[in-house]
Amino acid sequence: MNFFPLLLGIFFIFSLNFESVYCKDENYSESLNKEFRLNGTQIQNAFGSSKEKALNTTVRLIRNHKLIALGTMINPEGFLLTKASSCVGAREAVLANGEVFPLKIRKRFEDLDLALYQLISEKNDFEFVRWKDKNQTFEISWVLSAFTKLEEVRVGIASGKQRPIGREGGVMGVLLGREGKNLGGVEISEVIPQAAAYRAGLLALDLIVKVDGRKVYKRDQIIKIVGAKDPGDLINLEIKRGERTKFLKVTLGHKSVTFDLFNRNLQMSGPVSKRKDNFPLILQHDLPLPKEAMGGSLFDLDGNCVGINIARVDRVTTFSLPAKIIKPYIEEWLSHE
Amino acid sequence: MKSVLLILLSVIIFLEVDADVAETEAWRKKFPENKKDLYAIQHRLQELLPKAKKGLVAIEANDGAGSGVIISSQGLILTAAHVIGKTGKKMKVRFANGKRASAISLGGSELSDAGMLKIIDEGPWPFVGMAENQSSQIGDWCFGLGHPGGFDAKRGIVVRIGRIIGKKDETMQTDSRLLGGDSGGPLFDFQGKVIAIHSRISQKPDQNFHVPIESFQANWDFFKNEDLLTFNEIEKGGFLGVACEEEEDGLLVKSIVPNSAAAEAGLQAGDVLLKVDDQRVNNREKLTIIISSKKPNEEVSIEYRRENTTNSIQLKLGIRSN
Repeated sequence: MNFFPLLLGIFFIFSLNFESVYCKDENYSESLNKEFRLNGTQIQNAFGSSKEKALNTTVRLIRNHKLIALGTMINPEGFLLTKASSCVGAREAVLANGEVFPLKIRKRFEDLDLALYQLISEKNDFEFVRWKDKNQTFEISWVLSAFTKLEEVRVGIASGKQRPIGREGGVMGVLLGREGKNLGGVEISEVIPQAAAYRAGLLALDLIVKVDGRKVYKRDQIIKIVGAKDPGDLINLEIKRGERTKFLKVTLGHKSVTFDLFNRNLQMSGPVSKRKDNFPLILQHDLPLPKEAMGGSLFDLDGNCVGINIARVDRVTTFSLPAKIIKPYIEEWLSHE
Repeated sequence: MKSVLLILLSVIIFLEVDADVAETEAWRKKFPENKKDLYAIQHRLQELLPKAKKGLVAIEANDGAGSGVIISSQGLILTAAHVIGKTGKKMKVRFANGKRASAISLGGSELSDAGMLKIIDEGPWPFVGMAENQSSQIGDWCFGLGHPGGFDAKRGIVVRIGRIIGKKDETMQTDSRLLGGDSGGPLFDFQGKVIAIHSRISQKPDQNFHVPIESFQANWDFFKNEDLLTFNEIEKGGFLGVACEEEEDGLLVKSIVPNSAAAEAGLQAGDVLLKVDDQRVNNREKLTIIISSKKPNEEVSIEYRRENTTNSIQLKLGIRSN
């Protein structure tokens, strides 16, 4: 069964009709001036030198004149780290001061979803981050990151436990129904529109007889085989449609992308990162950053780099890779160079 | 003698004012001016959290999940009306350590989205205090707790800081971020008291809606006695036809719906409604609760003030038309 009970959460009432009963959104006669709000200019300015540090050590990564990710400068020779899966095809980097440099990729660290790039330049005095990888006590402390244009920062609080994030596995995007030996397989009760199975031509009421050559009678068997594979992997299905036997290949999709279509929470969150799973350790915070701001660094109140933003998960959650996870990778790579 | 007293009094007042100025905490300033202020805010938050977290529960029913906050040792819980859905419903509450207790939904109001439930297992339960009526105001720092997206033991409770950006009638608005599953969770002030309950989000992530604690306080007994005001009741119940603003001792009529019961009885903008059927009304929601519990054509008595004289009238309620 590729179906995971979607967060059947109580979702916020959010219908136009409801709002119009007593519309409040813009109706406050009195409201707090924007500059004094959590991410208003006055609050940002209180972060002082930490704000400057964030802006001066973060770069914009550009493909076809569009921002695709931010990057974190890690040494004076112009090396930077970014989110690998967001940054495919980046051609140039723009600094906060407007300087533009071409880029070359040096290394990908797939298990962290990080990529190491270098700015092509004679300069060797780039400003770079000061890591904080020891005595990390982040729960409930201020954090900040540069915002997309490198003119402002976004501030918030790190909370939630530091923890590993498991692998999601690939999905076909079907709901499985009846099963059993008598039936001769497992029936598809629903195909999620636009998902992997849909594109492969599967239909509701198709009976899955074999997966990758193995006979299946139970939903759990299918879940196990499919779940062991990753998004992008191929599986071969033998199905019965009425009396006819068909062979189909399905390229598995991302679980989050497939089922997000049904998840109100994510509908309300706007675009999220495609890869937001399979990290050895993350710290969580609530900075309001778009997915194009991933790859930028996360700072504490003292302007130390405590991590790199690696996934926009939903409207209240961003994951960052803690500095202590990143540093050993970088050190090992530099020692080989 | 009198003058001595006066001087003494003024000295005391003066001293107090002076003390206030000297010790303005960072979170009482108009905005934090530097890192020192930010550290003070962070420290205060860290100080208040352990106790605040103890009152938080995740709420589970067959059809969904939300959050809530325990406010008495007997296990009375404040949450959102859309989390309980109806009265007398069996639900489970879950603590941060994963342990569950049985609960039953009480009442609330779909108008403000205030809801109540009660743990039925034997207490005592950890609980948090509520802020006093009208103690929170625009600009105050606050922090929200909840289980965004549902209970997650590996992640734990998620804290979000923010400020009150608006407060009017049955709603409070903050820039503390929310997601589904947070619904019903508590919003605290920087004294560690509950000032509101998470209700709805707006399209902008930094403008979210909460039910102010005042909505609960004004209708406490109604909610606790398993009464739930629904939109359906509002639609089908009696209709008076006044738009009001809350004042200290009553409801100031801002406008009258033409041809409504209020219009026919001669009520005017500027009148202050004091009592309906002998119940004091200084809360808009309370008025709606009383009026909606009656049927169209049912009679009510209304006491109101017009230019310093108090008057009483009897009137027949009308039908709400769209």
